[in-house]
Amino acid sequence: MTNLMRLPGARLVLHAVIVVVLYLALMWFVGGADPLTMSNIALAAMYATAMFGMVILVGLSGQVSLGNGALMAIGAYTLALTSLNWQTVPIIGVPMNGWWAMVFALIGGIVFGLIIGGLGARLKGPYLAGLTLGIAVGIPAIANRFPDLFGGETGLLLTVPFPEGGYEPAVDEGAETGTEAVTDGTTEGTTDEALPTEGEGAGETLAPDDLLTIDDLSGDGTASELPTEGEGAGETLAPDDLLTIDDLNADGTSTDAPTDVATDVPTDVSTDVPVPDVPVDTLPPSTDQADPGFLIEYWQASLAILVACLVGFVALNLVRGRQGSVWRAVRDDPVAAAVSGISPAWSKVSAFMISSVFAALAGGVFAQLLAYVGPGAFPLGLSLSLLVGVVLGGRSSLVGAIIGAVIIVWLPELVRSAAEGRGWDEQVTNNMPNLLYGLLVVLVVLIAPGGIVGSIKSLSAKVTKRAGSPG
Amino acid sequence: MTNFIEYLLGGLGSGAIIALMALALVLTWRATRVVNFAQVGQAMFTTFIALSIQDLTGNWFLALAGAIVAGAALGVVVQYLVLRPVKRADTSGAIIATFGVLIALQAGAGMIWGGDQQAYPQPFNSAGISAFGREWPISVYDLVVIGVTLALVVGLSLVFTRTNLGLSMRATAFNPEVARLSGVRVSRTLTIGWAIAGIVGAVAGVLVAPISTLSPNSFDILLVFAFTAAVIGGLDSLVGAVALGVGTGLVISLVTGYSDSSNAPVVALVLLALNLLLKPDGVFGHTSSRSV
Repeated sequence: MTNLMRLPGARLVLHAVIVVVLYLALMWFVGGADPLTMSNIALAAMYATAMFGMVILVGLSGQVSLGNGALMAIGAYTLALTSLNWQTVPIIGVPMNGWWAMVFALIGGIVFGLIIGGLGARLKGPYLAGLTLGIAVGIPAIANRFPDLFGGETGLLLTVPFPEGGYEPAVDEGAETGTEAVTDGTTEGTTDEALPTEGEGAGETLAPDDLLTIDDLSGDGTASELPTEGEGAGETLAPDDLLTIDDLNADGTSTDAPTDVATDVPTDVSTDVPVPDVPVDTLPPSTDQADPGFLIEYWQASLAILVACLVGFVALNLVRGRQGSVWRAVRDDPVAAAVSGISPAWSKVSAFMISSVFAALAGGVFAQLLAYVGPGAFPLGLSLSLLVGVVLGGRSSLVGAIIGAVIIVWLPELVRSAAEGRGWDEQVTNNMPNLLYGLLVVLVVLIAPGGIVGSIKSLSAKVTKRAGSPG
Repeated sequence: MTNFIEYLLGGLGSGAIIALMALALVLTWRATRVVNFAQVGQAMFTTFIALSIQDLTGNWFLALAGAIVAGAALGVVVQYLVLRPVKRADTSGAIIATFGVLIALQAGAGMIWGGDQQAYPQPFNSAGISAFGREWPISVYDLVVIGVTLALVVGLSLVFTRTNLGLSMRATAFNPEVARLSGVRVSRTLTIGWAIAGIVGAVAGVLVAPISTLSPNSFDILLVFAFTAAVIGGLDSLVGAVALGVGTGLVISLVTGYSDSSNAPVVALVLLALNLLLKPDGVFGHTSSRSV
């Protein structure tokens, strides 16, 4: 095995095998899951995508950033604006589609990563954290500042999957399905789902024509109770939750999805979808709309998993390759690294840019999961939750990022089910996940800085040492 | 021109509050070389405690006293339980830990007092003062805020320059090892530094709450402004924090007056970025030249 690994490209092949196996396993699992689980897996994959970048930035490069939620917003807005405004891809001229929109999100991530990383590379610890904190608060404020372009507080509504042939002007679509969709949306929203928030888009999964139309969502978008004026962006945070994961689980992923689905599509059809037949590596084209087997949650999960696996493959090669060593060297001793011919500044900027690209791609996925982009979807809490997940899972481990993403998505669910049995007050239940996150982060920093993965590693190292030593 | 003067006057009160919060950040930085991102969380929490006292007794000053006691206690607890045990080698650890505290405090406050915006009573007249035949955009309350800020700054300067405690705090900030060799009880001094910062933050919280309303997240934006002021002021300088805090308040008031309040965070961000690029040690900071 060691000899094999010396062959050129062997590492690349090994990483590819790991990622492909992981991808196939996940898709197999998703194929047999219920819609709620599919949505949660989609969310977890999206978080993992962004957290891979946090591992490189915080763990390997040692730069604590709170700006990655804002960089997700940049990816999401880039995707939304390019796909809403461009019928064809500029220069190349081919028709716009969802993948091209993701490419533009990626480019947005590179540009802003270079700008912010260039600013941040000169800064040490608390200065960088403070600057990125300002970015996390300031960028949603920019969206409010230019409502004509960014849709203001209401945000921009997307049709997912990306409509074939690009977006029509919004007026035409409204004329076709307007009234029907609006009534459908409002009744579902008021009766089935308790908490109307910005994340509700994905919850209204199956509109009559299987597509989320712009009108379907407009009710929820404008109903967001965030004040537009006042002290500034601080008040655009959702009042209840620091991390809006609660909202996303309760609403975005539609806890009562099966019952919702049942109103439009027979239940047995939607749960026993012949999923393996659906081509998983392409966005389902709009011809699938007529197919009663099309399930929006399955599409969301396959999109998020595919992006997470692609990003994970790149991250794996970077972390385990030469660049990973460069980042660690600069983190541990910038002077020694500089003496060895490494540029500490470029090392920091490159880490920032890579994490920014990952965040932007995650943001692009997030936009398509929510079918919506707005400042309320990217509060400071989102950036904090990325930090929390990575720290809990293991700051410098990609596996830790996956574990962190799973914790961030499922801990609120666990708390909720625990609360149901014990009759906790709603106020307590809603805040319990964040309280746990905060306390766990402090505990991990104090007791086990390596997070879950680091602890397991050091534990197993101890065990093998003990087993190996005589007597 | 009259507009300009009005906006400036209107920004004095909020500037004083930003100055107080920046002061708290500087105090913890001087004591332990940690920017306490949980400072606004602590202030929010103590302000909720003050609101509970206010609701029980109806006495604004008693509530303020309660917040001050709670602020000192919370500062000591956070420093003693969280920051002190963080491993020295883990440079990111302290920053991450303060954010952990912030998240936990906000969730805890949401659990106890709920996530809704709550009004904090106005103890003094908040209407503009009428004088010289017109109404000015500054109220009795603003004057009280400015007065309290000035009193705290003067008091702290006296403590730092005229007392043994202040001397040992400055010695510890300058060089903990040498201070310890000279007989300063360093760890106790650090904890006292955090307690004082907690008090300053608690006062800032109680003063800002009537203007901004109170909820677990409502002080987040104050953190950004205060951090901006503290960093531009040099992070080490009490005078710098106060001057830049008031300055930030004035700039925000001008921006809000001439354009829109939603621009304020963006302007703060631009100021911060420019400062970090052009003068990373701050306007009042000492250039970190390394002495032999």
